[in-house]
Amino acid sequence: MQPFALNYARPAVDAQVTAGYAYDSGLQLNVTPDGRIAARDHALLRELGTTTSTAGSKTHFDD
Amino acid sequence: MTVLILTTEEDVTADMVVVHLNAGAVPVVRLDPADLTEGAALSGEYVHGAFRGHLSSGGRLVSLDGLRSVWVRRPGVPAARAARPSAWLTEESAQALYGMLRATGARWMNDPDAAHRARHKPWQLRLAQSCGLPVPATLITTFPQAAREFAERYPDLVVKPVSGAHPQDPPRAVPTSRVAPDADFSAVAYGPTLLQRRVAKRADIRLTAVGERLLAARMPVAADADPDEVDVRFARAASPWEPVEVPPRLAESVRGYLREAQLAYGAFDFVEDADGTWWFLECNQSGQFGFVEVDTGQPIARTIAEWLSRPAVPRQARFRGADSAVC
Repeated sequence: MQPFALNYARPAVDAQVTAGYAYDSGLQLNVTPDGRIAARDHALLRELGTTTSTAGSKTHFDD
Repeated sequence: MTVLILTTEEDVTADMVVVHLNAGAVPVVRLDPADLTEGAALSGEYVHGAFRGHLSSGGRLVSLDGLRSVWVRRPGVPAARAARPSAWLTEESAQALYGMLRATGARWMNDPDAAHRARHKPWQLRLAQSCGLPVPATLITTFPQAAREFAERYPDLVVKPVSGAHPQDPPRAVPTSRVAPDADFSAVAYGPTLLQRRVAKRADIRLTAVGERLLAARMPVAADADPDEVDVRFARAASPWEPVEVPPRLAESVRGYLREAQLAYGAFDFVEDADGTWWFLECNQSGQFGFVEVDTGQPIARTIAEWLSRPAVPRQARFRGADSAVC
């Protein structure tokens, strides 16, 4: 009795990643443990995939 | 004049824009509605025909009159982190925050009402058609017989969620998937089903629109790609995204779409067929862009920052009579 589209569902991949940075409310930016601004480190962003279209956010429809 | 960014703390994609706003010395306040009423607060006063309001977040205070723009990026559910969260408190907080913000002269990326409408894929498909964008033959139905007849006309089909949402109980993902020609469509009766003619693609296209500026990127399909892996979000990336020129006629259609949808930002997904035609799949009104900029070096974040930095619309032009006591 499940909808047709759910025949094609697969288990969700755990989106939890080790961020590698933390939010600094003073800067209003995420910074790495050594104090660098994460958004300037494209290699880090590519590695973590945190700016990537994720297709299945729990909280937001748009990816 | 301040740019207000509604998003979560961990949204590093928003950071990419904040960096440019900081470089331009544009004041920024970042607020997650989920922090109402713990780390964020609001107040608005309607007295003697005038309105004055303030927001605070992370120790920063901003007057609503002092907002030049509001970027709705990845806002949390209002008051989700309150000491005693509830659906009622969420609705109260959403009405207070977004209601007051709507009454300012700030420019929106994107306007909440336009954004809400723009999330509806069936509406997107019709708007894309009317703007002259090629749309693959699509059927949304709860009639199994309609699905069977559509499959006879278009034997090579994909299925995808109508809403773009994914079931959470238990958490599952529903990628765009190929439908076998001999599929049993009887389960179509149990939920609206979106079937679409599969476009044999040679590349995926992500077109990011910021105001009038269009920045497109292309990722070719690998020669050894599995033909059953049709959803680029789930497929192994064979190569990075690369910048690509937007065909002039298509650019005109995309701008028409944005005007009709009243969107300042949109992330369009197309697939390119063997003839080079870009077929419209969807437009995510708040789609991710960081991964494209990281690969291509296209100045998407800077373009967003420039758009957000423009002056606010004069209140008289936007909300005539707002300061008047005349009824």
